[in-house]
Amino acid sequence: MSAVATFDWVALAPVLAPALGAVLVLVVDAAAPRLVRVHHLLGLVALVAGLAFALPGAATSGRAPLRSVCLPGRAGSCLYEVGPVAAALQLGALGSALVVLLLLWPDRRAALRGGPAVLVSLVLAATAGAAGVAAAHDLGSWLVCLELATLPVVALVALRGTAAAGRGALALLTTSLVSFALVVLGAALWLVATGQAVFDAGAVAGALGDPERRAVLLLGVLLLFAGVGFKLSLVPFHVWTPQAYAGGSEAVAAFLAATSKIAALAALVVVLQPLVAAGAPVLAAVGVVAAVTMTVGNLLALAQDDPVRLLAWSTVAQAGWVLLPLSASSPGSAAASGAYLLAYVVATLVAFVVVHAVSVGGAPRRLAAYTGLLRSRPLLGGALGLALLSLAGLPPGVVGLVAKVVALRPVVAQGQWLLALVAVANAVVGIAVYLRWFAVLLRDPEAQEAPDHGPLGGGVARPVLAALVLSATVLVATSVLPQLLVGLLE
Amino acid sequence: MTLVALLVPAAVAAWLLTAGRGLGHRAVNRLAAAASVLTLAAVVLAVVVRPEVDRPWVPSLGLRWHLAVDGVSAPLLLLTAVLGVVVVLHTSDRPPVGGTSAAFHACLLLVELGALATFLARDALLFFVSFEVVLVPMWVLITRFGDAHRPAARADAGGRFVLYTVFGSTLMLVGILTLVSAAGTSDLGELARAAGHGIPASTQLLVAALLVTGLAVKVPVFPLHTWLPPAHTTAPTAGSVLLAAVLLKMGTYGLVRLPLATVPEGFARVAPVLGVLGAVGIVWGGLACLVERDLKRLVAYSSVAHMGFVAIGLASGTQTGLQAALFANVAHGVISALLFIVVGGLKERWGGADLETARAALREVAPRLGFALVVGFAASLGLPGLAGFWGEFLSVYSAWSPAPDRPLALFRSLAVVAALGTVLAAAYAMRVLRTVWAGERTAPAIEDSRHTEWDVVVVLLVATVALGVVPGPLLALTRDTVALLVGAPR
Repeated sequence: MSAVATFDWVALAPVLAPALGAVLVLVVDAAAPRLVRVHHLLGLVALVAGLAFALPGAATSGRAPLRSVCLPGRAGSCLYEVGPVAAALQLGALGSALVVLLLLWPDRRAALRGGPAVLVSLVLAATAGAAGVAAAHDLGSWLVCLELATLPVVALVALRGTAAAGRGALALLTTSLVSFALVVLGAALWLVATGQAVFDAGAVAGALGDPERRAVLLLGVLLLFAGVGFKLSLVPFHVWTPQAYAGGSEAVAAFLAATSKIAALAALVVVLQPLVAAGAPVLAAVGVVAAVTMTVGNLLALAQDDPVRLLAWSTVAQAGWVLLPLSASSPGSAAASGAYLLAYVVATLVAFVVVHAVSVGGAPRRLAAYTGLLRSRPLLGGALGLALLSLAGLPPGVVGLVAKVVALRPVVAQGQWLLALVAVANAVVGIAVYLRWFAVLLRDPEAQEAPDHGPLGGGVARPVLAALVLSATVLVATSVLPQLLVGLLE
Repeated sequence: MTLVALLVPAAVAAWLLTAGRGLGHRAVNRLAAAASVLTLAAVVLAVVVRPEVDRPWVPSLGLRWHLAVDGVSAPLLLLTAVLGVVVVLHTSDRPPVGGTSAAFHACLLLVELGALATFLARDALLFFVSFEVVLVPMWVLITRFGDAHRPAARADAGGRFVLYTVFGSTLMLVGILTLVSAAGTSDLGELARAAGHGIPASTQLLVAALLVTGLAVKVPVFPLHTWLPPAHTTAPTAGSVLLAAVLLKMGTYGLVRLPLATVPEGFARVAPVLGVLGAVGIVWGGLACLVERDLKRLVAYSSVAHMGFVAIGLASGTQTGLQAALFANVAHGVISALLFIVVGGLKERWGGADLETARAALREVAPRLGFALVVGFAASLGLPGLAGFWGEFLSVYSAWSPAPDRPLALFRSLAVVAALGTVLAAAYAMRVLRTVWAGERTAPAIEDSRHTEWDVVVVLLVATVALGVVPGPLLALTRDTVALLVGAPR
């Protein structure tokens, strides 16, 4: 037996591909600084490669995950482990980053500072972090990946260079630092309590059995939960969300709403999984936070007039739904949570792509700018309409409806009636939120002569169109066959 | 067969919403008429042949495309398919106001699709998904194509409709999930065969309470009915017809299919409450009709009263009661369709539906419409020989002699109250006919019913008389399945 760890490079590839891409982009930029589009192409290639390598993980069963970076010694002490849930979240992170990258495609306006290379490299780095945290199986790599997924985003928000972006980035940075402090403290307590850095249900159960270590472990978990709660925009750690979304460009907001959320949820699932297996009593706290989060998010979303802010608050509300199944300590709750998250990510990405396309046209960031979109630009309007209905959980957005069923199922099966009732009330309020926007799409277009927007959404740049087609196709496909999405996590 | 019945409206609606947007009213109407006639043919064939489809859709959830026809659903399927044709034909010479004709017809077809899928579904989760399909198209019909004079009322009525019904159906979802996790299957056939065996009494009660409350919103049962009058009043005529004749039936059908069949013990404990609320609904609806000034709203309130009879029949727990409920369902579908077409036509001609405004007597200026109105209200008050009689008579009878496990005194008093309710019905019918039909005034003259409108009215008149004179075939159609449901071993 060799003394060093054993590596399975193929299993690591979903993380390595974007990470290498990030480095490569910077190298290319140093060698040939004048290039503009090559960086984006490289980024796309890296993400597509990552997606391709993540597919085998999705085909594994829960009992035989792909492992890598295994330490010598007893079996199971691998620092990297990909089961179906982790692989699905990796696919989601890489796919959503792909769409964001298409939105960030350089156009004549050259919106962000720092040049395309920095931009692409930041996106890729954060994506690598997101893909890594889903598969992390020990505290060290978990912490590193989580921060890798967060810090580049601060820069992405700040790069826009406006005052609002500065404020948003500052809010995000402060939040990240606080959350990092909490997480590190939590990790330290975890290490003290369980005596090992690898996530292991056995060690957790041992710690829970001992009253002294139990208190330490629960405190640690609470801190970890709070730290990750910042990133997942759970109430009361959500305040940065609307500021950062509204400060960044639509593409960056989309990245925050999709890829970053996946990273945060993956981090949470990784931590909670051994606890669920050990039957820890922290899950009641998760339920309370979920209920409060969805309520606050929905109620505030109801009052927004800026579509990006509305989507930001809707993110908060949906984060509550994502958390909901985790409060039930059943074996399927991580998969349920992941499925809800992926459904939300697909729908919200489509919404952001449309918001991006509309605001590129120079429209103000107000709901009124979408008046009659279904009639004047059917492709954009149709995609946004389907996305909103999916987020609301109404057919024809069947994927959203199925996701709600998936999320409610473990809660009901565990008999948490109070939580289920709060969720019912929030389903209703959520529908009010999204139908309010949908009603605007449905109105008559304003009398002014619309420029020559063809039925295919003319006036939309080609990469944005590609992003729209890509994300909308996934949305339609998963609405017709929800199994494509739900089955990914089993 | 069943798949054809679902695919045709789905495909045509999808085509109308995408490629067919630019078509003129006539072409769209012909196409929709062809689609609905084809659907009707497929439904008739399916009722005769009774095919069964069973394929997995979302295996992870156990959600299957399980479709079948039995005695309980066959009459409602036929009713829906016939009214699907009726509403399209009725629209042929009145182009919709407020949006494109293609969108209007697509919404009609989608509502039909959702209703047919609901009645065909043999899987509890598929039932829920189908139940939700009708919401968005109906919302569009109300908010876009409703009463052109009052945009604020349209938005309010549409929003209320969606939010109320979503609240109900999400509660129902919680009930379904509880039931499915307790029984271990979502197959409605198996659930009905098991009839709650192996489910603890407390869980049965909970499931029944959730399901009955959720479905009561849709029916609607007394305190949950407040969404219905504004929705009916503002919806376009075709929308009102579908709402009253089809959507409300989804609620009562759900009551039969879910709580009554799957958790009979729990339902038995909830039934007295349902019966009392039904009786209150009868009286409340009748009293509201006595003072209501808006004719369309009056017909809507009378629906609340009629649904009260259905609720009492279901609550009685006897075969007669169940048959009465199913018969009253279909009868109310036909009668309310007739009344809404006549009243909607009058509202168009008068430019309003206020009963206080002095108008020409229908007997003098529009004898055809007047005749239809008389027959409609006569049937509505339960005159023997017309469709309304049998359902209400049998329902009162079943309340007088309920199942042995029901409180006899209570149900007898319910029977008395319901019988008094028919007196109220006679009173408000007379009130309407006196103000609208009788009299000597001949100005301002209005055009009488002609062409397709009159054809449609004649079809409904014939159906009203036929159901009243020969109730046998319909009662025979439902008898066997009802015996199976009520006589199931406890």
